[in-house]
Amino acid sequence: MKLIKHLLLTLLFASFALTSSVQASGQVAPSAPTEEVKKEYEPKSITQLMGSFWETTGINAIVDLNDGERTSSPKGSNYEHEMNWFESSLGRIIMILIVFILFYLAIAKKFEPLLLIPIAFGGLLANIPLAGMGGEGGMLGIIYNMGIANEFFPLLIFMGVGAMTDFGPLLANPKTAILGGAAQFGIFGALVGAVAIGFSLQDASAISIIGGADGPTSIFIASRLAPELLGAIAVAAYSYMALVPVIQPPIMKLLTTEDERKIVMKTGRKVHRLEKLFFPIVVLMLAILVLPESAPLIGAFTFGNFAKESGVVDRLSNEMQNSLINIVTIFLGLGVGSMLAADKFLVLETLGIMIIGLLAFSTGTAAGVLMAKLMNKFSKDPINPLIGAAGVSAVPMSARVVSKVGSEAKPGNILLMHAMGPNVAGVIGSAVAAGVLLSIFK
Amino acid sequence: MEDVNLILESVKFMVLGMAVVFSFLIILIIVVNLQAKIIAKFFPEKAPAAPEKTADTDEAHHVAAIIAAVTEFRKNK
Repeated sequence: MKLIKHLLLTLLFASFALTSSVQASGQVAPSAPTEEVKKEYEPKSITQLMGSFWETTGINAIVDLNDGERTSSPKGSNYEHEMNWFESSLGRIIMILIVFILFYLAIAKKFEPLLLIPIAFGGLLANIPLAGMGGEGGMLGIIYNMGIANEFFPLLIFMGVGAMTDFGPLLANPKTAILGGAAQFGIFGALVGAVAIGFSLQDASAISIIGGADGPTSIFIASRLAPELLGAIAVAAYSYMALVPVIQPPIMKLLTTEDERKIVMKTGRKVHRLEKLFFPIVVLMLAILVLPESAPLIGAFTFGNFAKESGVVDRLSNEMQNSLINIVTIFLGLGVGSMLAADKFLVLETLGIMIIGLLAFSTGTAAGVLMAKLMNKFSKDPINPLIGAAGVSAVPMSARVVSKVGSEAKPGNILLMHAMGPNVAGVIGSAVAAGVLLSIFK
Repeated sequence: MEDVNLILESVKFMVLGMAVVFSFLIILIIVVNLQAKIIAKFFPEKAPAAPEKTADTDEAHHVAAIIAAVTEFRKNK
């Protein structure tokens, strides 16, 4: 299609110079065998000009089913293939409609707008016919190769999330970390489910991370284990994170009794500044000893947190929390959006990913709540089972949901800080789970 | 036949994964509790208490009073 563009330009210039004399062999395609050769101006009639311009319009690309248009891949032309009729016409239209739905969800429903807007717009750009924006030289392709193919952007996001996270609530009540572990059942339960419906083990592992309810982790794992499913996985992860307030409460209510939801928890002790300072180091040391495979994720996360807790580099930690994470979010969104091209997204696997993602999310919530019920039986201080639901990461959304459901059962019962403990432990838990999956496929 | 094998395989992943996640977090809990005890022993609550005090001293009140007076003075000018 580059060829056609070049040719069109030449033709336009020619039309200015020469009058419309019908002369040369006006066939467009065969007249330019090699790209490098400088094309000579050829006189064209106005009808030929119109005709060749028509060839380059998006309308033609969508209407003409057998125009031989090629898909675009950030990995280069070896990975591209000629589009079938569906990919070059109807698929595009469906994808553009899906993008509009995502816009609607982001703007009107406020579903994770910070990510859905860039992702959806990237999807829109990726579906423009002939422009090849998702290709190796296209804008989206460049962004994709810059930071998603090599898993760099998710790590930067993780750094920012680390700088934003306060581990105080977890340190005040460390045993709630177990709940963040229990919720990872969502990941592994979904893994079994995904294999059962026919995904390969590797693909299933990438999909199941959606159950960790952690966008950057999902993208990190997907770009390593199943790059071709990245678009669907990212969209599923972020949509379900946005849907936390819809998905979680029914499960939480189903699994707890009215009395359990009314349990008031003891306020946590005051946490020493040094504890917070040492915590990221402790986590990182453990990661180094147990699971070096998770080091990129945990390393970035703890670095961000350490910069914050050190208290002497506020400039750096503010940068990570604000400008840096914002910039990276834009790039990450657009890059992921490039995977929303019709030829990559409108495949049967996407449907499977959406279903498994929902399953993963629900299982994680349920496992967290059940574990909290179990802990409540054995703990001397009462534990409200609702906080188990916050064990899926989705910081801080799921903690807020827990608090809301809690105060519905008993007005004035603020569970937010108690829920933040399992919530941040869930981030660590899903990073560890991700490390385990990576270590399996090493 | 192969299907069954794969599912068994994924169940093994689950056992391994959950075991690692739980042991990681349990070790973390133990270390964090230990750390809290050590810190409480060697660095008794001093650091957080100190800044709270300074914020509430007479000096702070004086400064506030002076600032208020100055702004009032400027307004009247």
